[in-house]
Amino acid sequence: MNENPYFPNLALITSIRDEVGGDRAIKTFQTRFVNGNNFTFKSGQCAMLSVFGKGEAMISISNSPFTKDFLQFSILKSGRVTSALHNMENGSIIGVRGPYGNSFPMEKWKGRNLIFIGGGIGLAPLWSVLKTALVNKKDYGDLMLIYGARTSKDIVFKDELYDLRSEMTVHLSIDKDESGWNEFVGFVPENVKSKVSWPQNSIAIICGPPIMIKFVISTLAELGFEDEQIYTTVENKMKCGIGKCGRCSIGEHYVCTEGPVYSWAELKKLPQEY
Amino acid sequence: MEVVIQRDSFPQLLEKLNRYNIWLPRKNGDYWEFKLSRGKESLDKKYTNTKLSPKKFVLPQTETLFQITEGENGKFNIDEKQKKDSLDIVFGIRPCDGVALSHLDKVFLNSFKDPYYSKKRDNTVFIGLACETPPFENCSCTTMGESPFSTKGLDILLKDIGDRYIVEYITDKGKKLFSGFPNLFGKITTKDKESLEKIKKESNKKIKKRVEDLSETTKKLDIMFDSDLWFHESQSCINCGICTYLCPSCHCFDINDEQLSKKPLNVKRVRTWDNCQFPIFTMHSSGHNPRPDKQSRYRRRIYHKFSYFYKTEGEHLCTGCGRCSNYCPAGINIFETLQKVAEYE
Amino acid sequence: MVHIEDIKKEAKRLLKEKKIKYLIGYKRGTNGLTALPTFIKEPEDTDELIWEASCIQNLSRYLVEEKKEQLKNKAENTLPVGIIAKACDTRSIAVLLQEKFLERKDIYIIGVSCEYGGVIDQKKIKKKFRGKKPEKVIFDKTNNLLIGTKFGNIKVPAEEILAERCIECKSTFPLLCDDVFGENVKRKISEHFNSIKEIEELPAESRWEFWHGHLEKCIRCFACRSVCPMCFCTECVVDPIELAVTNESTAREKAEKVKWIERSTTATDNIIFQLVRTLHLAGRCIDCGECERVCPVDIPIRLLNKKMEKTALEKFGYESGFDINMPSLISNFKDEDPQDFIR
Repeated sequence: MNENPYFPNLALITSIRDEVGGDRAIKTFQTRFVNGNNFTFKSGQCAMLSVFGKGEAMISISNSPFTKDFLQFSILKSGRVTSALHNMENGSIIGVRGPYGNSFPMEKWKGRNLIFIGGGIGLAPLWSVLKTALVNKKDYGDLMLIYGARTSKDIVFKDELYDLRSEMTVHLSIDKDESGWNEFVGFVPENVKSKVSWPQNSIAIICGPPIMIKFVISTLAELGFEDEQIYTTVENKMKCGIGKCGRCSIGEHYVCTEGPVYSWAELKKLPQEY
Repeated sequence: MEVVIQRDSFPQLLEKLNRYNIWLPRKNGDYWEFKLSRGKESLDKKYTNTKLSPKKFVLPQTETLFQITEGENGKFNIDEKQKKDSLDIVFGIRPCDGVALSHLDKVFLNSFKDPYYSKKRDNTVFIGLACETPPFENCSCTTMGESPFSTKGLDILLKDIGDRYIVEYITDKGKKLFSGFPNLFGKITTKDKESLEKIKKESNKKIKKRVEDLSETTKKLDIMFDSDLWFHESQSCINCGICTYLCPSCHCFDINDEQLSKKPLNVKRVRTWDNCQFPIFTMHSSGHNPRPDKQSRYRRRIYHKFSYFYKTEGEHLCTGCGRCSNYCPAGINIFETLQKVAEYE
Repeated sequence: MVHIEDIKKEAKRLLKEKKIKYLIGYKRGTNGLTALPTFIKEPEDTDELIWEASCIQNLSRYLVEEKKEQLKNKAENTLPVGIIAKACDTRSIAVLLQEKFLERKDIYIIGVSCEYGGVIDQKKIKKKFRGKKPEKVIFDKTNNLLIGTKFGNIKVPAEEILAERCIECKSTFPLLCDDVFGENVKRKISEHFNSIKEIEELPAESRWEFWHGHLEKCIRCFACRSVCPMCFCTECVVDPIELAVTNESTAREKAEKVKWIERSTTATDNIIFQLVRTLHLAGRCIDCGECERVCPVDIPIRLLNKKMEKTALEKFGYESGFDINMPSLISNFKDEDPQDFIR
């Protein structure tokens, strides 16, 4: 690896999959480093992707560290860089640097039940930790995924979610009823309330829009979860990824180096600047 | 180690160093700035301090990190060569700004070493000039626990004792620089030391302490995040970037791609100063802004300098140079805010 | 003659009778001579109000901020905001009303006449009073100013320390006022466009050199933009990214936003920034001089605005800030307008 922390390593896009269409389109990209050099990462970490000429964007890595031959990113089309990524094709070259940030404390969770709670694109960072937990399934108790999207069309990883049911409990939801939908209808916190009944010895991991995270946390608290049992990820605008440029700061923390994974017990102590 | 150089010999010293880029404070209209030396010159006796801090020598406002060019069949070449290998020598750094360099070192030379900063830092010799009188009205290095004779961050410190300078070598880099011309330097005498002590004493006296007890400020910050003081203190703020751009310790930056040509693609990745007081600084791509108003931005500035940095690095990210308060269009005075914080109940 | 006690009394009454939400005025500076803006809510705090030649700022900028906050929070303004305004400040309020950014009912204008004076130029004072720290400035009727220092009052001819814009002021009497203090006097110290005479006479190359040299120094702190009451756009072409992004903005809108200038502080892009600023202020700038006052690298920005002002007057007979019912210069077209620039 290059010693310059700002240096983007060239990577080839090896596959692009459409997840969601429309104005808030989501695509999943797999990349392979051109020079074969790679970085090892942990679930929860992010990478800074470059579209040359457009700039950089910090994106969470959505595959498990156990799949070593590629990096996977699920990206919501949102601004200049992500739109440019959406316009790319198989075989295009991008820059990748990282990995950045802390990771989910999966060692600490051993022996616990894991409840993954996601909304929309929030399934992407969860996917890495979820897949890793599945590999080491015997280390953990029961595994459960509660995932919701606005409509059935907004659900990401549809095929994988289908396959996932053979390995763990999966509860899906959409905000408003649609014909042919036979799972939960309503917001994610409501689904959590109806499905989760075992706070003891459990860890809840939440990723999704800020408003969803907020309500899921209060729902979990009502169900008897302690702050230390709840984990989430924070995102703030980032430029450098190495704790210098200043913009992702929350209190004395830089999300890019000390985040993005926080237990609610930790996050609660920080000012609400995210 | 200390030696002495006659004021009259100073131009000769510059001449001997002329294969390097020598920067001296020079007046540009109404304010001082660092300019390349024209040759045989002296340090101007009237010099106060530069309006723009010397941070630009290690963190220029605009800096190309590398250039990316598109080659054949979609290949890219990234040129990250740093051009600068020549030595820059900057004369006249005030001790407060030296302290700021030591702050920047903590940010840029920590676990993720910044190669651009580090190279410039290595290739620049910072020669300080102690203050006999406070250069600005709002100067207050003593508030920050520093002194007008502080050596932090500097390679050499010059102390003006009238017709001669006492030269204090702080780093090996500094010592090496002057080692080639021993004829210009003499031994320091007891009399020199005496005059220095006298000047030091008077100088310290002349600098007003602006915050009675800064440790009290830092302590209070722990409990007053939600205070309405931030609203009142920032009410007259106009959201410009003067305080941070003029600050010698502020170091936040932005990184952007700037296209030189579209086909074949030729792009500069550029680092530029950025500023926590601009509303867009923290704005997410979604439009959500974690610090949406000036009170949260002003609070951030104060907390970063006097609470967060202190917690992580054991120092205040402020040198007391007073630039932010001298040039704030709305007259916001950082020392007054700090004193109010200290008195908060 | 303006008596501060009268202003205080009126301010106190307005706050007591809840006629205004709060008052934007001036208080004694703590950092040199220049007065500071103050925002008074409680009637008893009106005692800190001052009125002298150190009340430099154009406080109407804060009316713009108030309005922006209201728009952001979609709040209704219940009471007007009170403001102490000099003649030039009231002219900037006039433009904001003319452009329908502000509504008359939302502001309560306490106009104060500058009479024979104006405000001081900090730089001139600094040069003139090297060493002696001036503490107070008082008008001495006609063309003299009394400067209070530790060593007593010193009498100085106004033009030596007044801001250039005050020397070239068209009228020192405020307009649109709800209350007015001071007299409407006829006074003239200098020609209105005296300050641009010198540069106008230079050949084009020298002018280019002059501006290039100055704009090269720009550090893009955007203080000139931030301080200007006329720069009220939510979105500015010179912003590095999308400031006007909302939750409803689509990715496409954001991605396709044109970058007019890069963040690199090159002379070329600095010039584009200032040109955009200047042109957007043509026929709108009322010469409060704030942009130039706040510039940390001493770019004589006012000269650009002054040139626009002169062009507007000479070519279109247009003067900004005097009539809120007049169609604005840029949005209006008359048959007799000169068209020789269309080639």
